[in-house]
Formats: sequence, structure tokens, C-alpha cells
Amino acid sequence: MSDTKPKKKFSRRKFIIRSTVGVGVAIGATYFTRPLWRRTLASLANSAETPYMGNTDEPRLWFEVTAENEVILNSPKVEMGQGTFTGLAQIAADELEVNIQQIKVIHAPTDSGNIDGMSTGGSLSISGLWQPLRELAATMREMLKIEAAKQLGAEVTALSVSDGVVSANGQSLTYGEIVKNVTEWEMPDTPPLKDVSAYKYVGKPIPRVDLKDKVLGAPMFGMDASLPGMLFGAVVRPDQVGATFVEADTSKAENMPGVVKIVTEPDFVGVVATSRMEAEQARQAIKAVWKTDRNWQSEDIEAMIKVGQGDPVTIQKSGRAKRILNNEEDVVTAEFTSPIGAHAQLEPNGAVAHVEGDKATVIMSTQVVNLTRKEVADRLGLAPEAVNLIPTYLGGGFGRRLHTPNAVQAAVLSKAVGKPVKCFFNRKEEFQNDTFRPPTHHIMRGKLDENGKIKAIEHNLSSGDVMFGSPMFPGIAEPILGADIGAWRGGMIQYRAIPNLRTVSWRVKLPFATSWWRSLGLLANTFAIESFMDELAIKAGKDPVQFRLEHIQDDEAGYRLSEVIKAAAQKAGWKDEVVNGRAMGFAASTDANTPCAHVVEVTMEDGQIKVQKVTCAIDPGMAVNPDQIRAQCEGNIIMGQSAAMYERMIVKDGQLLPSIYGPYRMALMRDAPREIDVVILENGDAPGAVGEPPMGPIGAAIANAAFRLTGERLRSMPLVSS
Amino acid sequence: MINRTYRVCLVACLVIPGLVVGLGYSKEPASGPVPTVPSASAQTELTPEKAFDLMMQVLTHKRCVNCHPSDDYPRQGEDSHIHNFEVQRGPENHGVAALQCQTCHQQENNNHSGVPGAPEWSLAPRKMAWQGLSRVEIAKSMLNPENNGGRTLAETVHHLTEHELVLWAWEPGVDANGTPREKPPVPKAEYIKAVKTWAAGGAPIPEE
Amino acid sequence: MTISFNINGKPTSLDVDGDTPLLWVVRDMLDLKGTKFGCGKAACGACTLHVDGKAIRSCSYAVKYAEGKNITTIEGLSDGDQLHPVQQAWMEEVVPQCGYCQPGFMMATAALLEQIPHPTDEDIDNNIVNVCRCATYYRMRKAIHRAADIQSQNAKTQTS
Repeated sequence: MSDTKPKKKFSRRKFIIRSTVGVGVAIGATYFTRPLWRRTLASLANSAETPYMGNTDEPRLWFEVTAENEVILNSPKVEMGQGTFTGLAQIAADELEVNIQQIKVIHAPTDSGNIDGMSTGGSLSISGLWQPLRELAATMREMLKIEAAKQLGAEVTALSVSDGVVSANGQSLTYGEIVKNVTEWEMPDTPPLKDVSAYKYVGKPIPRVDLKDKVLGAPMFGMDASLPGMLFGAVVRPDQVGATFVEADTSKAENMPGVVKIVTEPDFVGVVATSRMEAEQARQAIKAVWKTDRNWQSEDIEAMIKVGQGDPVTIQKSGRAKRILNNEEDVVTAEFTSPIGAHAQLEPNGAVAHVEGDKATVIMSTQVVNLTRKEVADRLGLAPEAVNLIPTYLGGGFGRRLHTPNAVQAAVLSKAVGKPVKCFFNRKEEFQNDTFRPPTHHIMRGKLDENGKIKAIEHNLSSGDVMFGSPMFPGIAEPILGADIGAWRGGMIQYRAIPNLRTVSWRVKLPFATSWWRSLGLLANTFAIESFMDELAIKAGKDPVQFRLEHIQDDEAGYRLSEVIKAAAQKAGWKDEVVNGRAMGFAASTDANTPCAHVVEVTMEDGQIKVQKVTCAIDPGMAVNPDQIRAQCEGNIIMGQSAAMYERMIVKDGQLLPSIYGPYRMALMRDAPREIDVVILENGDAPGAVGEPPMGPIGAAIANAAFRLTGERLRSMPLVSS
Repeated sequence: MINRTYRVCLVACLVIPGLVVGLGYSKEPASGPVPTVPSASAQTELTPEKAFDLMMQVLTHKRCVNCHPSDDYPRQGEDSHIHNFEVQRGPENHGVAALQCQTCHQQENNNHSGVPGAPEWSLAPRKMAWQGLSRVEIAKSMLNPENNGGRTLAETVHHLTEHELVLWAWEPGVDANGTPREKPPVPKAEYIKAVKTWAAGGAPIPEE
Repeated sequence: MTISFNINGKPTSLDVDGDTPLLWVVRDMLDLKGTKFGCGKAACGACTLHVDGKAIRSCSYAVKYAEGKNITTIEGLSDGDQLHPVQQAWMEEVVPQCGYCQPGFMMATAALLEQIPHPTDEDIDNNIVNVCRCATYYRMRKAIHRAADIQSQNAKTQTS
């Protein structure tokens, strides 16, 4: 391809270049810490559309046409199972006028020049790229047509294009043939986009583009990577909460077989050896000294996570909920809790790094490609451009790979030995160094009026940090926002027709890392709110589905929420009664503008709740790939069920436990519902979030179903029937 | 130029060398309660009744009872919890069709994974269930040919003192965390002697 | 020690410490990366492969036990370009999400179908206890039944 700088004019696309981010928070903290402004910010954060933040709108950095007439799509977003690559391929194929089989989606290495400014997360990949990627693909198609016109001696308007072949006057050229002869690209204005109804791939249940590789067991993950001459690293880590590194006796390890070098840094000790087993054994022989101030126990953590402790910020306020609930009679109050949750993704964190003089290569699975590169560069004292970060497929993400200190450690070890080093967590390290889903505590208060409608409702939530402390966000965000956006995600009352409502978020700093876990606070917050809605419906003597519909405001968000509630109830044949030892439970939530409702059917087996069937209705606005939306709903439902019913990390004598699958009980095949029915509504004009919203209602829906069956109201996750 | 994809390169001649952690009993640090070793004088006066007591201290220990459950789930750990993932007995006591004991358990303990192993790793048949039984009940069951697989007393003694799976109890290896498993409270030699003394004395079972 | 076995039909001889987990021999020495490391404790099943046709969790299997045996990994499950019925079913049902645990599940399923050609839902629950964090269990169950159908269809075609 030519290196000539193209001349072009782009339309105003939903596309923000990274450098502009942060301007909004740099103005000054004092003014913005006012409560009203914080609530305004919170409201914006709750419903704003998040644009794509990339660093380039140059089509040739996104698409590479090969001589074989393949189009390589350099994706700045990573594929962690959520199906983004498939959606991007569908979108690109339709505007590029190629067969989807001709598109090969790969992870863009940072030296490709196509770098995502933020992360892959927040269920934003397809929604954020919907507009820019179509414009980029359409522009690329027009660039190819302009060149084809020259080479075929025809007018651009006379060309027809199909499956990457441009034809005119009985002659044709493939895209691959066209690019071979281009010396200087001409850049058109952004062409008009096709009507959605004209798309061949968008909207269809196309099989995943990575399906066959995954079925064949292809070496596609970070842990599968290797480089010639590669050595293996291991890092000594504490297994105590709050431990800081003091010193280490490495004398025994130094003389062990296969050990190449012991590397002592200010913050860690690592070993490099010629094989994985040697590195592991040498690590065990290093006697490290750690300093801990306190021997933490679960009870300590539970005592900290309480509404009323830490810093409160009112994030939602309408009417006079507090005054009503403090002063009037017959107020309903209920408390809810959720435990510490582990990510437990199957591929451990780690990296292959090769530092050669003033440049470095890192191969790994990460959700924060750019940030990982910067962290490695900073540690090595290099410019970011000197580090090529090569992302791979992720063996599970779920927010865990938004923190990637493993890359730095691998790079430091590689620099010390001058060879490529592969350094991964073992499973115990993975569990004990997780960035956990924070535990939460919720107090719900509500008051019904004489007609059995909610007069006032209030949600107080206490949570460990999610966004705060994350390297993804500038520290200045903390004083401005006051409340952690991630912690209160899903925490606002979505029934805005209630005249008096209030949500207060209490921030607690815990002694271990808590952070992003798929859907953030959504699962726990929805568990509290939607369980409480069920309690209020029962108190009002109303059907819980109707009760919810009565409290939804008359606007677009309200309409879409009502429609999924009605669709789920109808599809499931909703009945507020126990039939043959089987009961239904209902819950709904709205996350990132995607409303979702679940009807869960449960029975009791051996004294424990058994989820038999889940009916899910979701409205992502528009469906790019209905089959992958279904897959995301199924996965969210079972993962959410797992978190709601079985999972819990504890702190015992300073250790975070368990540190292995099994004792960290998760849903298995036998626990998963035998039936999952997904209804997709499309009441929007663009594709929205899918990867997390279906997580929201599952915990509450299970608890609500269990209550109908047993009469026992379960207000603490994991939900265990007594 | 776009670096299109990374290539996973074969690391030629990568040698995984010797593992230094041995499996031997003597190398493991001591753990668990202090064994109730009889004094030298007591040993010289070992009666069948005392021998019964020693033997039963072993047979009622979790290293034995975990694999003699009264239901269809093996137990594991020092707290004898139901085996992770609720793995099952199966029709022939060594697991179900494609999830057999040998899917994970091999001929020896595995010090890397902490998965214990011994030849014929399996559950005792249901008729040999000991979980929840008293010492006397266990002994009666053990001597009852209907429950013990038609063994004579001599054959039972052989099983108790020579079977590698039984003797694994004194070489239980480490768990998933690398922590040594607790051994029975009587040393192996004392236990073997006790079993033989008890049998030679007519295998008396005390009144309950 | 020198250890010899067949892997995916290919005779292989290695000089290796006999206590090395088979998983690392397969991944690091033989460069077959389809068999995954998940926990190293025989808990998650990501490292499941076949030794003489039976499902084995290779992270907990010393390579010395493989002497003279036939090992099959996910790379050898298909017959050339012809996918194994389990893989065909996995394709038809579009099972994988992140995909990392899937080879272990497919190997466990293939071993199950060898023993029980038409597993019931209860058979599936009792035999397939691997861990999938993306929670693709719902599609996996469908795919396992579908694989059983494909396999029995193939058997009929071969005998007729």
C-alpha cells in the first residue's frame, strides 16, 4: 500500500480520538463535587451512549486486502467469547461488498497503528463501532472502486461490486488484483451508508467466525504463544491480604536445576528457568518475607461493607423519598447482601514478553491493549511506540483482563535475561490475586400508597470499589464523581413513574483489590431492587409483572422496558402460582440502555433450589447477530445463576479462599437450566449492549421464584435455602 | 507493514528436567495430631483388646473412611466433605462411564496436582460402608463374609496389612495446596502388628 | 528416562523426567496447544485428553504412565479433514464462546460416547463435570445429544 497521506473529509461519526478524553474532568474538581452536579453526572453515565474511542479513522489501518482477495480486518477490540469479531465481520462485509467468508478478523497489534483508546468491555464493542466501522468499510469500498475505475477504464458509477469483485463492461477485477496496482490512494468523502434492510449479513444468525478454530483446538490464546529460545518465568507472590514485599532469600533457588536467573525488583522477586516445572520449583524454594498489618477475616470485611459507613453520594433523587420514608408509617424495609466473587476465567493471566534493547514485544490476552502497552513501556523506560503489544484471543475476560501487571513482570524478567520469557499465574495465584467483584450490602425502603402503588422507594448500597483505583481511570475522577460508577451500575431505580425515589451509593475501600466483574454492580444491585419490588408487589396484593408495569414512566426507555417485561411474561406463560412443585419468579433490569427481563422456573431437589427453565426477553435496540445475542443471554444467565447461587470467596486468617475450582463452587452442567428461551426485541435504531445486560435480573428472578415455592425470602447471595 | 499474526513457534528440544520433590513418606513434614504411639512396655503387653483399639484408631480415620462411604459419593479432605464436583461411585465402585477414578487418580500420588493415587484407586463396595458406623459395627461388618466379599479372616488380615491402597494411608501425599495430608494416628508398623495380634487372638470384638 | 508412546497415531519417543505432567509434555515439548492448562489440579477438566481411549486429566498424569500407550488430543480427534461427530455437533450448535475450555469438554464427551452411545441428560450431568466460565452448558448439552445422533447415523451408514 502507498504511504501517501490521503486527503479526505469524514462525516461526523460517533468516534472520539483518545486524546480528547479527560478534558471534561480536567476543568477543576471543586465545582463539580456539588451534589446536584454529581447526580447529573451519574444520570448521564447511566444512560449516555458511549462512543467508540479509537486512535485512527484511516480505513487502510482497519482493512488490508490480500492478493488472494481476502480482507483482513484489524480489530482494535478483542475477542473474549462475546462474539464481537463475528459482529464486526458481518458489519464490514455488508459495506465492503464482500462475502463474509472473505473476511478474516484478527487482533490488531499496536504496531498496526489501530489502537483502541480505552478497553474491550462495558458491552460497547458492537454498539460503539456500529457507525464508524460501517463508514470505514464503505469508504474503503469506494476507494477500491475509484482505483478499479481507473484500471478498468470505466466510470465509478458504471461499476458493479459483488463478493469483492468489481465489474464493468464485461471485465472484472478482484479487490486483491486492484490493490496490487495502486500507487496512490484517492480518498473520497464518506459515502452514504446502505439501508439496514439491504444488509445481507447484519441481522442474520451467522456462525461465529472463530468457530472452527475453537472446535479444532487451534493455538489462539495468550497461553498458547511462544517465541524461539523462550524461557519460563515465575514470580513469588504473597498469599496474604495486604502483604507488602520486604526481602527474599534466593540462595537455595539460585542453585536449582534449570535456573537461569533470579530477578529481584523493588516490588517482586522472580525466577527465570529453562522449563515451566523448573521455574515453578525454584519459585517455591525462594523464601520471601512479607509485611502484613493485620490478619484479615471475613467478619472484618462484612463489618466494613455496611450502608452507613464510608462516603455516601446521592446518585438519584426525585421527589421527597427520604422525608416520606423517615416520617411515615408502614414503611417496608429489607436488607440484601452479596459476597466477594472471583472471575475464575479458565485461561490464567500471563504474558510472553521479549525485550530486545530499546524495543519490546508482548504477546498476551488483555482487554486493555493500549494501557498494557503503556504500563510495560513505563516500567522499561521506553516510549509506548517502542513496545508492540500483540493481543491474542482471550480464554475468558469478564473484566479480569482490565488489570495486567503480568505483562510488566514478564517484560522485566525478559529484560533481565535478554531472551523471551513466558510467565503465567498458576491457579492459586489466579484466585488469590484476582480483582474481585466487591461484596455489597443494600438497604431497600419502600412505602405503598392507598392504591397499592409505590409512593416512595429508596436504595442505599454499600460496595467495595469497582472503577476507583482502576488504572483505566484518572484519579481525579474520584473526587468529582464521589460515587463509583461501577459499584452503583444497575443501582438506580428504573421505575421512574414512582413519584419519590432516591438512590445513595456508599463507598468502602477494602484491603484487597476489587474491580470490574462482568456487569459490575448490576447483578447485586438488581438482586436487591428486584427482590424488593417482588416484596412490595406481594404486600400490595398485585401480580408482580403488572405491578412493575404500573410504575414505568411514559418515555422511550420506559416503553422498551415495558415491552421486554410483557414479552418475557407472555413467552413464559407467566403464572404467579405454584404448579406441580414448580414456581416462577420474575425480574427485570436496564443496563447500558438495554432492557432485559427474566422469568425463572424453579423446583426443589434434595432441599435445594433447582433452576429448571429461564425465559429471557431482551431489547438490544437492533440485532446484528441474533444467534450470538442468544448465546450471550444463555451464558449470562448461567454465569449469573452461578454467582447468585453458589459462588463465594471468603477471607480466613488473611487468605482469600478458596483457591481452586470445586471448593470455589460454580455452576456445572448439572446445575444449568435444561431450557433457556430467548426473545429478542428490536425497538431501537442501532445495536446496543448485549454482553452484560442479561446478567442483571437473574439473581432476583431466582430468589423471587424460590420465595413462591418455599415461602422463604432469600436476601443474601449465594442463595441457599434453609 | 502490519504484523498480521503471531506465530506460535515450536520450542525445539525443550527439556523438562528432573523433579526434585520425592514421594517418600520420610521426606514429608509431620502434620496432624500427635500419634498415640503406645509406650514400649505397652507394646510388649499387646493384648488382642488393645490391638483392636489401635487397629480401630486407624480404620475410623478419614484416610480410610473417606473411601468407605455409606452413600454413592466419595469423601475427601480432613473434614471429609463430599468429593469435589460430586463425583460418583458408579456401578463398579470406580466411577461412572467417562468419569472414572482413574480420570484423575493414578498409581501414585501426584505432587504437582495434589491428586492422591495408588493402585486400584476406588471406593470400597457399598457393603463395606463404614461411614457413620461404630468401631464394633465396622469390625462385625469386616468379619461378615456377606459384607467383606467372602473373605476369610486370613484374607481380611491380608487386605488390611498388605493391600497397597490400604497402606496408602501412611503415604497420603500433599493436597492441592501442597499441604501434607494427615496420616492415621498409629504408625504403619504398629498398625500391622495390631491387626495381626488381634486376628491371632481370635479377632475379639468388644461389647458395645 | 526415555518414554515412547503413540500420540494422534504418531509414534513418539522422548527423553523426559517421568514425573512430568503429560500436559506439559504435550504442550511444551510436542507443541500441541489444544490441550489446555486451567488449574493444574485435575479440577477444571481443560486438560482432558484420551489415553487408550479413556478420558484422562493430563495435568495430573505423570508422563511415565503413558509408556506404550495411545494418546489422543483434540488435534487428533478428527480423522484428517473429517471432523469427529462431537466436533461436528459443536459446530452445528455453535457452542464455543471464548473457547478455552472447549477442547477438554469435547474430549470428555467423545470418551463418554464411547462408553454410552446415547447418554441421557442424567448421564451427561454425571459424566461431564468440566468447568466452563462462559457457561456454554446449555448448548453443550444439545451438542452432546446431537453428537450421539451423528455417531449412530455414521455407524448405520458404515454397516449398511
